[in-house]
Amino acid sequence: MRVKLLYSTDLEALKKVLAEKGIPFNPDVLMDHVVYMFGIEDCSRVTTHQLVRHRVASYDQESQRFSAATKEGVVTPPSIQTNEAANKVYDEALKTVYSAYEKIVAAGVPKEDARYILPTAIKTKLVMTINARSLMHIVWQRTALQAQWEIRELVTSMYDLVHEATPELWVNVIER
Amino acid sequence: MFKLNPHAGSECTMKVSLVWSSPKPERTIAVAMRRCYSTKVIEDIEVELEQKGAEYWRFLLTKCLQDKSLDVLEHFTMSLLVEGAGEAEISRLICRFPHIHATRLNETDWLFTVNSRTLVELWRDREGRLFAESVVAELDRKKVSPLFNELVFGDRMHAR
Repeated sequence: MRVKLLYSTDLEALKKVLAEKGIPFNPDVLMDHVVYMFGIEDCSRVTTHQLVRHRVASYDQESQRFSAATKEGVVTPPSIQTNEAANKVYDEALKTVYSAYEKIVAAGVPKEDARYILPTAIKTKLVMTINARSLMHIVWQRTALQAQWEIRELVTSMYDLVHEATPELWVNVIER
Repeated sequence: MFKLNPHAGSECTMKVSLVWSSPKPERTIAVAMRRCYSTKVIEDIEVELEQKGAEYWRFLLTKCLQDKSLDVLEHFTMSLLVEGAGEAEISRLICRFPHIHATRLNETDWLFTVNSRTLVELWRDREGRLFAESVVAELDRKKVSPLFNELVFGDRMHAR
């Protein structure tokens, strides 16, 4: 999985406005106004289905209507990777599904319809724009131990990036 | 300076100043569009968009407007200082447009953050139009998004 911060709001510009109006800097005042845009790659559609449940954000994701799927582009959970018997079944199932996908496309069916057979393990790419307050909510929920490993990994990466870009804004996050 | 909501008889005159906006807004929108239809990694999309230049951004932006795929506009965001506005005027705006984020700085001044999709929706709305015109004028004045402004607001047909 890869996460890249494409841009973030210039916090200094916002702080300058506060200073000009005689308002002391308080991270909570600016949480709605600092915006981040991320490029996210090679996470599964399982995880992006979880991610888009957080609706106060903007998402644009690689379309399976137009992009061909390949067997190489799938995520295998560690619990399957480390289980020889399960990994064998997983791999065989993927081979069957992708073989069927290719045959359906070769038979002239548009990719947008052939994709109905594809697994949610498939890797995907997207861009996401979100403000700090909404992201903080996601960090709170999705870095918890109850959250699934892949979205925890994704959101932890996002948090690391925004913490580096705008550390003053993230002083009140409770570490899990 | 303009009067917000003159139809309702408001006497409030406010000033809108741009504090910050997404870098290269048209390219940012183009990145979001290409993300939907390209298998390339994000760095390669960015290189492709730099190499093909503003005419390609124009093509993509025109297509998104024609297809009414305005979601990609949400990645172009801006923060604004709105001065001289009363609570009633601002409340009317943010009740109508819940994606506007407004923070009160003092009696009459506000910090706004809005994305360009909401700006288009404000432009199309009778109550929001004057505010949108003021924002667009500020974007024009600061030369922030000339291509976006020309395509979306220059030809009024696109935004209506």
